[in-house]
Amino acid sequence: MSTDITGLKGPRHIAGLKGAGRAEQAPPLRTAGPGPIKGAGRFSSRSIGVVIVAVWALAAVAAPVVAPHAVDDRFPGLLNSPPTVPHVSFVQRPYIYRWMLVNQLEQRYEIDRGRPVPLRWFSGGTLVQSSDEARAPLLLFGTDSYGRDVFSRLLYGARMSLSLALVSAVGAMLVGMAAGGLAGYVGGALDEALMRTSDFVMVLPAMYVALALRAVLPLVLAPRVVFALLAGIFALVGAPFIARGVRAIVRSERRLDYAVAAEALGASAARVLVRHVLPAAGGFVATELAMLIPAFIVAEATLSYVGLGFPDPIASWGTMLHDASTNIRVFADFPWLLSPAAAIFLVVLGLNLAIEDAGGYERTLG
Amino acid sequence: MLAVAALLAAACRTDTGSTSGAAGKSVSTSIVRGGEIVASVRSEPRTFNRLTARDTTTDLVSELTQAKLVRINKVTQAVEPWLAESWTLAADRRTYTIRLRQNLTFSDGHPFTADDVVFAFAAVYDEKTGSILADSLKAGGKTLTVSASDPQTVVVTFPFAFAPGVRLLENLPILPRHKLEPALKAGKLADAWGLSTPPSEVVGMGPFVLREYTPGQRLRFERNPRYWRRAPDGGPLPYLDRVTVDVIPDQNAELLRLESGQIDTMSGEVVPESYATMKRAAGEGRVQLLDLGPVLWADSFWFNLKPGAFAGDARAAWLQRDELRRAISMAVDRKAFADAVFLGAGEPVYSFVTPANKEWYWTGTPATPHDPAGAKALLASIGLTDRNGDGLMEDASGQPARFSIVTQKGRPRLERGAAVVRDELKKIGLTVDVALLDANAVIERLVSGRYEAAMYPILPTDTDPGTNPDFWFSSGSFHLWNMSQPKPATDWERRIDELMAQQIGSADYAERKRLFDEVQQILYEHQPVVYFAAQKWYVAVSSRLVNVAPALYQPLPVLWAADTIAVRPR
Repeated sequence: MSTDITGLKGPRHIAGLKGAGRAEQAPPLRTAGPGPIKGAGRFSSRSIGVVIVAVWALAAVAAPVVAPHAVDDRFPGLLNSPPTVPHVSFVQRPYIYRWMLVNQLEQRYEIDRGRPVPLRWFSGGTLVQSSDEARAPLLLFGTDSYGRDVFSRLLYGARMSLSLALVSAVGAMLVGMAAGGLAGYVGGALDEALMRTSDFVMVLPAMYVALALRAVLPLVLAPRVVFALLAGIFALVGAPFIARGVRAIVRSERRLDYAVAAEALGASAARVLVRHVLPAAGGFVATELAMLIPAFIVAEATLSYVGLGFPDPIASWGTMLHDASTNIRVFADFPWLLSPAAAIFLVVLGLNLAIEDAGGYERTLG
Repeated sequence: MLAVAALLAAACRTDTGSTSGAAGKSVSTSIVRGGEIVASVRSEPRTFNRLTARDTTTDLVSELTQAKLVRINKVTQAVEPWLAESWTLAADRRTYTIRLRQNLTFSDGHPFTADDVVFAFAAVYDEKTGSILADSLKAGGKTLTVSASDPQTVVVTFPFAFAPGVRLLENLPILPRHKLEPALKAGKLADAWGLSTPPSEVVGMGPFVLREYTPGQRLRFERNPRYWRRAPDGGPLPYLDRVTVDVIPDQNAELLRLESGQIDTMSGEVVPESYATMKRAAGEGRVQLLDLGPVLWADSFWFNLKPGAFAGDARAAWLQRDELRRAISMAVDRKAFADAVFLGAGEPVYSFVTPANKEWYWTGTPATPHDPAGAKALLASIGLTDRNGDGLMEDASGQPARFSIVTQKGRPRLERGAAVVRDELKKIGLTVDVALLDANAVIERLVSGRYEAAMYPILPTDTDPGTNPDFWFSSGSFHLWNMSQPKPATDWERRIDELMAQQIGSADYAERKRLFDEVQQILYEHQPVVYFAAQKWYVAVSSRLVNVAPALYQPLPVLWAADTIAVRPR
């Protein structure tokens, strides 16, 4: 019965109007597109998604304990060295072999199998370390071109990248839902003004704006200032994408019987909007968030390139990927430098699985 | 000539090292005429008019299509007669009488005469044109006087006895008067030969002529059948029939194309990160990897020494002190710097002029020892000590001893260099913030003086210090640490001014060398610029190229001598 604009599903509940409006709605016809997985499959995919995201969140929180090294610890003789693989034996403690530099310019290493180096648990304030950190450090994902432990930086990078992306996405969601909700519900001049503003932000050449912004900012920015700045920029840039969709949904939903009934029963405009109509955009917003979060992770790297990102040696997945991109040999010889890309992929996959199963992709027709 | 725009041009290239110097020569086997090579550049030309742009690709177009009176051999650094057949210096040591080669024509068949030389000078000096080459063709900031005494003879008079002499003329491409004089008279020479100009209009006396320009993709050149130079066997040059120059913005893509045989030579050197890839390709016979040795100019690290630059800042008491820079020079382990920044393919250096510049290097340059304890003592002498026991130094007012280094983002050599300096100084208690900015932002800050310290490559185009007055003289526009001073800010800079004035006026090489040694000694004592390591340069070309003369010449390490390059017969 609804003249669906967005193709997104209707409200999941109507507070204070139980059954009133919903009873008159036709049951949704689900498209053949990405839909929920039924039964055990649904439980599994959601669980997998939640677990993936939770593991990364836990890794980020526990980075100071799990990471064997500080984010700026350098091993000058081990630039771009391969990962040290832990070995398990029945007769001795887990151990690693150290890498020996064979050719500095070619960055070639050979493993020294002559002397196993045992791992040491719960020492130096970390979960596990090599018992000979000076000569044979534990480098689970190898080192980067500065000789820094990629695994440790990946964990510390997760703190920065995930928290920035999350804060930015929440900011974009709040701004976008507020603007879109108001535009769709109030309509008229306010709708026009908010949507034109959204259009303006969307067509802004973000890179040039960032460059101009960087030029007027102090030369050295504290990491927390960078964080706030990036979160603000991302929220502002991401909000229009949410606002446009939310506006369309709100415009559509507010004409439906349940919303009209809520108004007729005396609910205030704010209550109708916030409690009844906006929840209809939940699926859309969740989907947008799943796309914005990885986009923000990558955008951070882009802004780092123009000097607006986190300063070295602070690790973020974006800056790590940028560093890797300058080396032609990364695919052939140093694939561990691409581990931030794998991390981003996993986080995005986890988010998608978790959100998809939450109903974010359900669609209705008619 | 050093100039800000030279620095800009360097900035456009991702990661290159230095300018001309001694170099090896690849094996010349049987040379066959004909064939084509494909080269690459990172960006399109900004114009075909060399007078108005100094980007690498415009320079390349000029090198291939235009000729000069003299050429500085980028391998030997010797001045070679080019369009000028010979010259004599008058007793006043200011006036050169230059005899031009006879019966030369431009690529369109128009005869070349002394009037073209006079026109080229007039074009460069024309104020409306505002040529970027004008400064590089002045001696002591003054223009040369040029006249044609007959169609084959040019008289060039310097404002004073100028030691580098005709070396300066290498900066002047001889432009066709018959094509460009109307534009000069109309005051529109700066607009001439833009990218929309039909290639056939771009005539010159270089080894090739421009045949096709596809914006964003490539330039095609064909051999100039009227090129004047002959091969040792008496046959015509250039050996090649065609040169195609592809625009490949990304250095990694450039390397991959070279490795796969899609191009024959690329702009700049093989960066250390790519050495192994190229060595593998060389081992398989797909490319030639040529070792050119350490560069002539190491990357510079300096502080802003402009008086008043830190007015109102408590750090002014120590940021501009000699002791700070000397302490930094002692604190940084140059071997570790070379290992980290150049993956070991670098050598410690202690001066702007590196040992690779054999003609002008001061052999008495002391090797600053790596001495963190000595560095700390020096810092203590200017009030920087660890006052609160946190391992980091504070100044007399209790403020952290902290400063920032500006350098360019996206150039691994500079990023890593600044990071190593930061880490090394942290060991002695100095806190450094590295600010990575895009090239234009870095240059804007350097020129406007809005920085504390900087790390950046400075690339003179000639090894003779007399041709770089804007760097050496305190009034120079490229006197890095304190540009364009109305009068010398310090006694030692005044002394350098005096020495350099004598140096460029002396005709005796030994005397010039003695004077320049003293300049280097003063610089070493005061360390306005600190140098850590010079990169070793490797250049890769495809295995089909022969008779290549690679040089430590940054924009065109191979194509600077394009007329003698040939390809191996298939």
